Amino acid sequence: MGNYFYDMLPKEELEQLKHIPTVPEFLGWIEEKWGSLPAESDTKVTYTYSQMCERIGRRRAFLQDAGLAKGDKVAIWEKTSIDAIETFLAALSAGYIGILIPTGLPEQAVKGCCMRFGVSLLAVREEFAAKVADAPCKVVLSSTMADRTAPVAVVDKNDAAAIFFTGGTTGAPKGVILPHRALMRGAFNGCFAPGSQLGYHRMVCLLPLSHVFGLVRSTLSAFYTGSLWYSAEDMKATIGKLPVIKPTLLILVPGLCDILYGLVKMYGPQFLGGNLKMIISGAANVPPRLITAFDELGISLLAGYGMTEGANLTSGNANVLEKPTSVGKIYPGQEVKIVDGEIWFRGDNVFLGYYGDPEATRAALTEDGWLKTGDLGRFDDEGFLYITGRIKNQIILNNGENVSPEEIEEPFYKCAALKDCLVSEMELDGENVIGIEILPQMPAFEGKSWEEVEAFFNRLVDEINCTLPGTHRIRKVIVRHEDFKRTGALKVSRNQK
Amino acid sequence: MTPEEILGKLKEIVHTIKPKLDLSNVTLESSLVKDLGIDSLSMLLLSLATENEFGLQFEPDVKFNTIGEVVDYIARK
Repeated sequence: MGNYFYDMLPKEELEQLKHIPTVPEFLGWIEEKWGSLPAESDTKVTYTYSQMCERIGRRRAFLQDAGLAKGDKVAIWEKTSIDAIETFLAALSAGYIGILIPTGLPEQAVKGCCMRFGVSLLAVREEFAAKVADAPCKVVLSSTMADRTAPVAVVDKNDAAAIFFTGGTTGAPKGVILPHRALMRGAFNGCFAPGSQLGYHRMVCLLPLSHVFGLVRSTLSAFYTGSLWYSAEDMKATIGKLPVIKPTLLILVPGLCDILYGLVKMYGPQFLGGNLKMIISGAANVPPRLITAFDELGISLLAGYGMTEGANLTSGNANVLEKPTSVGKIYPGQEVKIVDGEIWFRGDNVFLGYYGDPEATRAALTEDGWLKTGDLGRFDDEGFLYITGRIKNQIILNNGENVSPEEIEEPFYKCAALKDCLVSEMELDGENVIGIEILPQMPAFEGKSWEEVEAFFNRLVDEINCTLPGTHRIRKVIVRHEDFKRTGALKVSRNQK
Repeated sequence: MTPEEILGKLKEIVHTIKPKLDLSNVTLESSLVKDLGIDSLSMLLLSLATENEFGLQFEPDVKFNTIGEVVDYIARK
């Protein structure tokens, strides 16, 4: 089953790669293997693999000196920076559990995370420090390191390594606990793409490190393959530097592919630096039109499918031109089956459970280790997977973020003139957007025209939009005359078809 | 540049980003999010392209609700 991916690499490169089950062992391997090659850069400073591993060792010493014990949680509130990735790898290689907090999270929510996850130490970027000085844990600057190095800890591949956030289906985001084996399986599988991959790529981490695809595929796989990883503390400024960085491989979500293609249309292919040969995109549906558009520029846009609970892409498609709607074949180290139409996975890459939520864990993970994805799929006779629908109640945005409709609906129920509402994905000008259907509490509008009712709810949406993160904003509003289809318990049915 | 010229240029940029969007009814009051469908990713593209076209740099925390506010900002620079 794995040959599809193994055969992509030149034989001599395949022989050099080794599947490593834990982060501490991984750091030792990349230091030995890639020592003198450039590893990480913010375009001003570049460190080699040896220097990076030494810096991680000094950060490890700093964390140990802070009095942490194995299994303690270290949260990092940072941008996509060298400090962030080094601190994260220092924590994991010292036997702690790393939590990369999304950069844009409001400070109250950051402190809430520290409380909810029992964080022992929060490492923050200097400009954020004053906002979380009263966090319920020790707060340090993410730039801090000791003047000596500490050795890596011994960890088991099944030990928890990191917690990632994913959109919940009932409101609050869930914490996905990934063990070392899952991160490292994801990182190893990320090494496979058509052609030579070792020791020469330049990659820019345009995805957030708090997204598993940004951390595992765009970062750990970059280090696995001896690539040079560029941080992206300011997304706009970093995109502006692409002509100078000249990336050879980018890991993106479809929304970012669209942006880069838009820039190419406006300013020509040199805007991407002229060396880009391949883009790997996942985390949301990759439209075939983008595959064709990039192909015309001589850039392969390869699609894949994955989820946070599976630590990276679980399938990848290198045959996008022949099968543009497929998410590809299943990566090594995993089993897959379709149960009542739903895709189930099992393997090294599967998570341990949701933090503090045994009920959600039982719903997603069977006793014998199968991850129920909540996505519907089918295989063709050559083993290519196609996603055909979704049974989980989530909206997947083109930036790869998963949002639960309930989270967006919640503020609307504070409006007494609204009886019920339903948020879902809708089509608008050929794009999938977040839309809302609203059922008015009609007595509240006595004597008003329908236009006035619609205008009222459009204003309400505008007001609530201002409080939502940019990606969660509602773009289409439908005010309903007729009641929603309802469930037996008279709740609004999520399936109105 | 007059506000009308700036608006015209911005409409050209939006057209490149969203070729299917009908821009004939766009006014200075049009909402970037609701009327033009600019989400945070296309805002990134819009601001990169606008900076390039007008040779300016937006301040990091600047926020716009309507296209008129973008026109004002550019006119002041």
